[in-house]
Amino acid sequence: MKLPSLRLPDRIGWRDHAIGAGLGLVYFAWLLGTVRSLGFPRDEGVYFHAGSEYARWWRSLFERGTDALQQGAIDSAFGTNHEHPALMKTLFGLSGWLFHEKWHVFSDASTAFRLPGMATAALAIWVTYLFGARAWNRRSGVVAAILFALMPRVFFHSHLACFDIPITAMWILCIYVHWRALEVRSLGWILAVGVVFGLTLETKHNAWALPLVLVPHALFVQRHAILRGLKAGRVAIPGSLVSMAILGPIVFLALWPYLWNDTLDRIGWWVEFHLHHDYYNIEFLGKNYFSAPSPRSYLPVMVVATVPTVTLLLFFVGAVDRGAVAFRRLRAWLRGLVRRPIGDVPPRDRRETDLLLALSFFAAITPFLLLSKTPIFGGTKHWMPAYPVLALYAGRGFDLAAAALGRALPGLDRRRQLATQALLFACVTFGPLAITAHAHPFGLSSYVPLIGGTAGGADLGLNRQFWGYTTQNAAEEYLNPKAPRGATVFIHDTTWDAWARMQEEGRVRADLRAVGAPGEAMFSLVQHELHMNEVDYSIWVADGTDAPVYIVEHDGVPIVSVYRRP
Amino acid sequence: MAACKLRAAVSRTSLQRWAFAVIPVVGLLELAAHAIQTHSVAPSRDWDAARTYVASQAKPEDLVAFAPRWADPIGREHFGPGLATIDREARPDETRFPRALEVSIRGAHLPAFAGWRRASEQTFGSVAVTTWENPAPAQIIDDLVSLVDPQHLRVSRGDSDCNFVHGTAQSGNLGFGPTVPGDRFVCPGNGFVGASVVADLEYVPHRCIFAPPPGNAPLRLRFADVRFGHTLHGHHALYVEAERDKKGAPVTIRFTAGGSTLGTVVHRDGEGWKPFELDTSSLAGQTSELVAEITSPGGDRRLYCFEADTR
Repeated sequence: MKLPSLRLPDRIGWRDHAIGAGLGLVYFAWLLGTVRSLGFPRDEGVYFHAGSEYARWWRSLFERGTDALQQGAIDSAFGTNHEHPALMKTLFGLSGWLFHEKWHVFSDASTAFRLPGMATAALAIWVTYLFGARAWNRRSGVVAAILFALMPRVFFHSHLACFDIPITAMWILCIYVHWRALEVRSLGWILAVGVVFGLTLETKHNAWALPLVLVPHALFVQRHAILRGLKAGRVAIPGSLVSMAILGPIVFLALWPYLWNDTLDRIGWWVEFHLHHDYYNIEFLGKNYFSAPSPRSYLPVMVVATVPTVTLLLFFVGAVDRGAVAFRRLRAWLRGLVRRPIGDVPPRDRRETDLLLALSFFAAITPFLLLSKTPIFGGTKHWMPAYPVLALYAGRGFDLAAAALGRALPGLDRRRQLATQALLFACVTFGPLAITAHAHPFGLSSYVPLIGGTAGGADLGLNRQFWGYTTQNAAEEYLNPKAPRGATVFIHDTTWDAWARMQEEGRVRADLRAVGAPGEAMFSLVQHELHMNEVDYSIWVADGTDAPVYIVEHDGVPIVSVYRRP
Repeated sequence: MAACKLRAAVSRTSLQRWAFAVIPVVGLLELAAHAIQTHSVAPSRDWDAARTYVASQAKPEDLVAFAPRWADPIGREHFGPGLATIDREARPDETRFPRALEVSIRGAHLPAFAGWRRASEQTFGSVAVTTWENPAPAQIIDDLVSLVDPQHLRVSRGDSDCNFVHGTAQSGNLGFGPTVPGDRFVCPGNGFVGASVVADLEYVPHRCIFAPPPGNAPLRLRFADVRFGHTLHGHHALYVEAERDKKGAPVTIRFTAGGSTLGTVVHRDGEGWKPFELDTSSLAGQTSELVAEITSPGGDRRLYCFEADTR
């Protein structure tokens, strides 16, 4: 019997969607398997609550009809956390309602709330694979998708019912759909650009920067058509831009009921809120930053300190390769202008992929690289939309390395060629996999081996954590087994909502009572961050001792100190 | 010659051909480094062995300190409040200690000991204990922070006396400010004085006399029977969040003794844990009342703390 060939056709098609979705699904399963070990950050508690409110409103719309459309009804639901658009919170809430309350798929409501965020992580992987496969080849796509997934900070944020991974996914999806629309130029793809741009706007305000990517790129790709049109006396605007301009705002407004009343004022407030956002504390190189200017070195140092080094090396190789191609094209164009002989010119890419990826990458990082007023309190999560592109260049870098391997070992049969390439693949992925898996659930404390791991990050004075999510670890390791019944606990940076949910889901013993001051507590927690040291010292005076009874550590670095009043 | 050129060309070609190997090598090095780093954490037994050693060596006047600074909580956990005392942890500076036992991991050392003499070093697995000798330790005669009790101190705000109480400490979360100690002088209206620990601008702890000036009347602290030497050495600061924005009014502290002013020092926002030293040579060897008068034109969140000693 002859087995069917496993060789994929050259054309990228449905099989590639299956590969991308498969990679995403594996990641999704990994996230789902590890989600319960991650406590609740401050912001997430707010989004759980907002999501429930939004879902309640959508249900009331279908159950009670026009009553739900009264401004009072809309505002009572969507007034909660109206500084961020509603799409993801609505999905969190609907997921919580369907998968926890109604169908009881998950016993933890939090897992149901977090499901849409995890799904967007899978989406980002899927799209990254497709992008790499279409731009270069499947090998590039697979490695890009995997290296994106195996960034410890990406893995951490992918668990959460927050917006940072969703905007990363929507950003790369928007870029991808725009790119495909310019290639295919069908009405369907053009409409898709507008819809996806609207959804991206409705995910997080990072999307404001997308026109800086898509508009110049579309104009450049269609420059000849535009110039011909101008000569003929007409303005030819690319269809995808028209779609973005019309459908984008419609989708954005349609999915955010809070903007249905006092629309301009509320949009104005939203924009103002983010342009003049409060600064929070963040440690960088041993100094606590709490206001502008933010240090310009923050982004490059944090990228080097948190993205696996082999991924960055591959990114560098891939980016240099694409940069060299772009340079050769530019040089050939310039020579063509003065009618000098044109040498070896790379083939023209009518989708201008290199330009698009470069614009996307720089649009995502520029506010943090060049604008000193941009707050940095969220660490690397702010510029995560750049990471799929970083991974795509890394995928390209791997592809070049694999090709070089083939050239270095000529004459190998196909089986041996595959084996050597598999070995190369293992060399570049096992490290990131080990680092990412080990970082959990302390993804914000973890730093890459290049700077000495978690302890190296502490030596350098890099931020240890934020949002007070590690109280769950203190409970699991010490409070649950050791605290007397009914003991009071000062929960420090953890919110009351988060504490209550941890108790509801059995992560923290139900009889323990949270209090708001060390002086009222039998046990006091300190989630270690530089600016939280003051809480440590408050406990010393309130309790009369400076010795914790237990410390939650990651690789020997203090994460949470637990004090017990003598 | 030709053979050399050929060899060079061949090796250059070979180098180029195998240049890609840097990538898997970096990948493997990263994996190996990760394995080493995650398996080289100092175990509890090393800390406990170091503790036993330090307990046998440390005298009451010695400093016990931990390096790097981020390891301090682990040091306090293992060494306990008997060795890692609040006075040692929240020291004003290192000048008073004749000797320091520095417990460290990862080869770290505190910059404070840069000019000290390294007397010995003992290692206990991954934990090292270095004994440092201070080349010129200060001889402390009286420490004002240790005199904050009704036997040694009277406090008044304007013309009103502030009573000493044994209350409960008042503490809070981030932004609350230093804990208001249970044992404190409470002034009519508002205001208090007590020994607490303040986080300075670098978030370093210092034990000091927490004495926020109320703004509309001077806060006077009268220390009885202070024994003087040649200098009054001290520091002052505001709680980090009260001074880091550099928007508050300055705080002035004036020291008087024996009917004359020893000196006046001003703390302006942003100066952090600011040292001062006043000449008391004229009072050297004498015992006298020392008055510290604290004023500020604005009383808004002037969470002021100072420490001083005679030496």
